[in-house]
Amino acid sequence: MAGRRIVITSGKGGVGKTTTTANLGAALAKRGYKVVLVDTDIGLRNLDLVLGVEKRIVFDLVEVVEGRCQVRQALIRDKRFTSLHLLPAAQTRDKTAVSEAQMDALIGELAEEADFVLIDCPAGIEHGFRNAVAGAREGIVVTTPEVSAIRDADRVVGKLKERGLPHTLIVNRIRPEMVASGEMMTVDDVRDVLRTEILGIIPDDEEVIDTTNRGEPLVLDPNQRLAPIYLKIARRLEGEKIPLTRLESQTFLTKLFSIWKAG
Amino acid sequence: MLRGTKSGLEFVFAADAGDAVLSDLTARLSERPDFYRGSRATAIFQGAPLESDAFAGFLDTVRAHGIDLHGVYGAAELGPFAERHALAYLGEPPRPVVTSLGQRRPRKVVAALTERARSLEADFAGAREDIARRRARGETSVAKPDFAKAAAIRAGAASAGPTVAPPVLTVTPGTPATLYHRGTLRGGQILQQIGNIVVVGDVNPGAELVASGDILVFGALRGTAHAGAQGDTAARVAALELAPTQLRIATCIAADDVKHKAREPEVAFIRDERIAIAPYAKAGLR
Repeated sequence: MAGRRIVITSGKGGVGKTTTTANLGAALAKRGYKVVLVDTDIGLRNLDLVLGVEKRIVFDLVEVVEGRCQVRQALIRDKRFTSLHLLPAAQTRDKTAVSEAQMDALIGELAEEADFVLIDCPAGIEHGFRNAVAGAREGIVVTTPEVSAIRDADRVVGKLKERGLPHTLIVNRIRPEMVASGEMMTVDDVRDVLRTEILGIIPDDEEVIDTTNRGEPLVLDPNQRLAPIYLKIARRLEGEKIPLTRLESQTFLTKLFSIWKAG
Repeated sequence: MLRGTKSGLEFVFAADAGDAVLSDLTARLSERPDFYRGSRATAIFQGAPLESDAFAGFLDTVRAHGIDLHGVYGAAELGPFAERHALAYLGEPPRPVVTSLGQRRPRKVVAALTERARSLEADFAGAREDIARRRARGETSVAKPDFAKAAAIRAGAASAGPTVAPPVLTVTPGTPATLYHRGTLRGGQILQQIGNIVVVGDVNPGAELVASGDILVFGALRGTAHAGAQGDTAARVAALELAPTQLRIATCIAADDVKHKAREPEVAFIRDERIAIAPYAKAGLR
């Protein structure tokens, strides 16, 4: 059976698409699935850096599409999880180097071999977005609890609906103490606007910055506070019913504690 | 050796030069009999003077070609020799004499090598095979400069919207030449050259240099560099700060896992079928 083809998108930039792709991919790999991450941000690739494999890139997505190398030559296997692979984007080309049909065929080919193909989508809703979505059969929309991110997420949800792609939502960078004090939107507020099933809630945490700079998905380290959260999201993605931990309706002490098991 | 300088022609006789050198020079002059007519010239002896009669004969030939050979550089013992041939003795050679300039010869490496460069055999086995196949077919080892095909693909996509020219700054197919680029190369920019590339400035991560010959960066090389891209295993990559994302020379690929801060210029070249990196000053390369 062919693997699932999931695009991770947001509309707005900087909300955590690439970090989410890397960590969700690592979480799925850790749970034993064969995972291929595809960076479709041609010309502005980042996923290789977050995974710490930038020095090992020889061929890229555009060269595969143009038939200059085999897919397996361009795939970079993660050294920590051998079931986690990256297909890097080209850095010296632009989004128009690939068409929607080519992307769809390429992702289809990858899905023959993998259980999950996670497509890291570029910001925006133009050519790069259309390419990334063309290869997908379902979507995950990442947003943060800010009005600008939510407006863009809403636009993207609409685009996914137009194409008939089932989709869920990850709310990233929640700060429970700000939610409690009324300075930040609650997850319920977000859900009310977007009317989309929530796949996960990820608290804001500076360890993300640190692990991103080191090129290590934090899922790899069980001591990282966010690791169990991504693992939980991975399990939900597999279809397990795990209730969301409610961050905003708690007292101060339980809130502090809850960050450890949120998601 | 015969060479032209600002101040005129120079006949350079190496320390071990014998009569054969004279006949070589004579032959070279007679290839183009009038080419040097009217030039002033000096003779530079790096060792002992040549046998007197032979040199006298050579002097006649030189003058017959219209060259005014007026003086001799060399050690003090050249003084009487110059006098005998009615030439001025000009003293020690004016500067260290470079015996090979721009001349390729087998390179001998004398320096101890740092262990920085690691080849990624396992990961790149497939890529290497592909590159080897390309070369066997007589194609470039990296498929990059296939612009006709890329243009065709872009043309096909033209109906989808406006197209953007590829970020290729310079392509000079055909004759080998050196591309000189001044300024910083940023991520996404690429220089490709049949010949050598010289960059005066930094090459940032994500930028790429592809040359069929050597690559020299007078600045920090942090991006990817591919020298000898058509298979020249004698090609090298040198930089004031050599900290590339990835290095490729001919069909070898290397990446550096360790963060590294060299305090001196370094040069990368192929040794024992791997990419090696050595401090430039100690590498013994010329």
